Amino acid sequence: MENRLFINLKPGTTFLDRLTGKTKVRVFFVLIFLLIATWDIRFIAPLFILSIIGLVSIRPNAKKMTVALIVILLLNLFNLLLMFLVEPDYGLGVVGGSTVIFKITDFYIVTKETMWYFLVRLMKFMATFIFSLTFIQCITPSEMAAGLYSVKIPYKVCTIVSLAFRYIPDITRDFNNIRISLQARGLELDSKRTGIMTRLKQYILILAPLVITSFDRVGMVANAMDLRGFGKLKKRTYYAEHEDTKGDKIMAPIILILLALFLGIVACLIIWPPAFEVWCPWIK
Amino acid sequence: MPEPIITFTDFSFRYKSQTEETLKHIDLTICKGEKILILGPSGCGKSTLGNCINGLIPFSYDGEIKGSCIVAGLETRKANLFKLSSHVGTVQQDSDAQFIGLSVGEDIAFSLENNAVPRNEMLELVDRAAETVDMEGHLKDVPYDLSGGQKQKVALGGVLHNDVQILLFDEPLAALDPQMGMTAVDLIDRIHREQDKTVIIIEHRLEDVLFRHVDRIILINDGTIALDTTPDELLRSDVLKEMGIREPLYISALKNAGADLSLLKDLENAEALDISPVKNLIAEHFHKNEPSLEKLESTGEVLVEVKDVSFDYGGDYSLDDMNFTIREGERISVIGKNGAGKSTMAKLLTGIIRPKKGEITFKGQNILEMSIREIGRLIGYVMQNPNQMIAKNIIKEEVELAPRLNGFSKEETDKNVEEALRMCDLYPMRNWPISVLSYGQKKRVTIASILCLKPDILIVDEPTAGQDYRHYTEIMRFLEDLNRDYGITILFITHDMHLAIEYTDRSIVFSDGNILADDYVYSVLSDKETIKKANLKETSLVTLAEKAGIDPEKFIHAFIEEERRQRTDGK
Repeated sequence: MENRLFINLKPGTTFLDRLTGKTKVRVFFVLIFLLIATWDIRFIAPLFILSIIGLVSIRPNAKKMTVALIVILLLNLFNLLLMFLVEPDYGLGVVGGSTVIFKITDFYIVTKETMWYFLVRLMKFMATFIFSLTFIQCITPSEMAAGLYSVKIPYKVCTIVSLAFRYIPDITRDFNNIRISLQARGLELDSKRTGIMTRLKQYILILAPLVITSFDRVGMVANAMDLRGFGKLKKRTYYAEHEDTKGDKIMAPIILILLALFLGIVACLIIWPPAFEVWCPWIK
Repeated sequence: MPEPIITFTDFSFRYKSQTEETLKHIDLTICKGEKILILGPSGCGKSTLGNCINGLIPFSYDGEIKGSCIVAGLETRKANLFKLSSHVGTVQQDSDAQFIGLSVGEDIAFSLENNAVPRNEMLELVDRAAETVDMEGHLKDVPYDLSGGQKQKVALGGVLHNDVQILLFDEPLAALDPQMGMTAVDLIDRIHREQDKTVIIIEHRLEDVLFRHVDRIILINDGTIALDTTPDELLRSDVLKEMGIREPLYISALKNAGADLSLLKDLENAEALDISPVKNLIAEHFHKNEPSLEKLESTGEVLVEVKDVSFDYGGDYSLDDMNFTIREGERISVIGKNGAGKSTMAKLLTGIIRPKKGEITFKGQNILEMSIREIGRLIGYVMQNPNQMIAKNIIKEEVELAPRLNGFSKEETDKNVEEALRMCDLYPMRNWPISVLSYGQKKRVTIASILCLKPDILIVDEPTAGQDYRHYTEIMRFLEDLNRDYGITILFITHDMHLAIEYTDRSIVFSDGNILADDYVYSVLSDKETIKKANLKETSLVTLAEKAGIDPEKFIHAFIEEERRQRTDGK
């Protein structure tokens, strides 16, 4: 169904797919923490390669993935361009040193350091994004709820996550129904025939009935949950969270090592703060 | 002496937001193992009564309780919702909204998860529950791939755990087509027998529930118990019509014939009913009213012609080579089970989707070349849920919306809007906010908002879904008037056989993407072959006609004409 976005509702069969929600959430969090903690390409580059291996390993829909990756890459490049336009010597402060490659004007000077910084930044952001994409692609919403619960997030919060995924397609369907009925009554949504402002106003017309139908639904869902004992106990178990597989047993020590690495990096940064945030091979 | 499991003693309840009590001085005892039907028109308080049993009152709905309600030994007021929910399993009306899990297995497991049952025990319990409701092969299916009936089964499976003693069904049939309704009623009956549960069904579709035996019917009217009796006694009385509840059709037919129902046993079951004491009476009555054999062909101008239209959704689902015509002034019912192609056909006619091949013309013009908006002025489409159509706050603004969007002049807009409002009896209310209207009135607003474009044809999707008989009659008579007084052609998309019998002349039957039959209503509904293939429910009139040795087709025809005469006379 077209409305299922990027979400998988049925678990897949690859190595990552078969892990428990608990393991998936932990691996994801620890990798993201690592990426956030460091600006050192000696960590970022391997993580970047790992992210690509991860994504490929779950054998995603190649066409969809390519589109997503290109869009994100372009957005990131655009972001870097804007950064350069605003502050062309940003890299100098964080990398340390100044090696001019060429001058465009007196203000716009391209330096090796800024380019280095941009490279690190791009790699870091792309890795974060690819990890997230892999995570979303290999986890079902229920596993995600179970996984979040396993890292001590209150289960009411976890349930909101899986409920959102459960009802998004329903709301999309309502939206389409409402849109169609208004179109039949003369609403023109064709971009060639109406201006952007008119079209925006017309989308607001669709929202009113959508909000009302959604509120109706919220009441019914809440009752259905109450009647089946949601919120009765402090703890909860999950049907979607299967027993540990061999993969989970392999991943458990790896998660610990990564976590230790993360803590190590943070400790080093605190105890011996480096002169410059971004490590660079030619700056000593 | 059977042991009481639910006892209401001088029980009254008033919602916080209302000034009057919704339930007044209820005294009621339900014993262990009974199967009870709670019957009553919309707004009579029957759902409120159900919510008092499962604990939503007072825990989710605020209000004032007087008297006592004891469920499974617990005074509900002093217990809590969770304690009650381990005794009472509730299946609600909206099978979609109550499907909380992302797969069948998860949804059945939901209450187990909340009780922190370890997963290894959970698996077995879920398997067992799924087996009980015939869903064992679907544990991994996601809600979007299930039919309403399957979702209803899952909901039932989800409340069967933990030795729940009472099963409460709040309008379980509302969203189901006749075939699924029959399956659901049968399943409820089987679980009642096999698992020794107390079953309470809240419904207004009496005939459908009576497909299987119930021990007792409690009729609620205006917040009080109007009648507490056996099905046979209830059917013999005239109380149903007075309360605005639809009688089973075979009972109406027997009463029309003037049969003395006290002579008949097993009245609740059309199949088992022995009519020999009144057989002659029925035959006599029939011959007096026998309809002329001559079939009146509709002679109106041809409005729509559908020629060799095929459509493909890209999956295993498609419509193949559809052909039919719609003439001016016709009343057509489009019937078939869910997913048979009814809505696809409506979407094709209104231009929302376009056929893969074939031709659709309106008065000779090819509508495939028109935009949705242009077609909207010829063929109006009224959706099932009025809340999905209403975009404005005030009635008049809502009705004005379509002419304004279509760029009508001020004078034309005003003229059309006034006319549409008058046709729908909404003119005096034109400045009212829509939020204060009843469901039926909202439905009329949506119809007015389409009529103001002056379409020649109205397609009305399930006009009466979830409505009790009184509101149903109100909406249908209104549509009947529109057809008769203003000559508007109406297509009803419905799975309600009663609606087809009472208010339409011709039926188009869909099954698996094909048109199975296109004929007079009485011919279609008496054709066993068609009924079976289309997965529809045979009307009880056919059963009765066969018992009386009368040709079912003629019998239904005579019945329809007699009912319509009564309706016109009664006006």
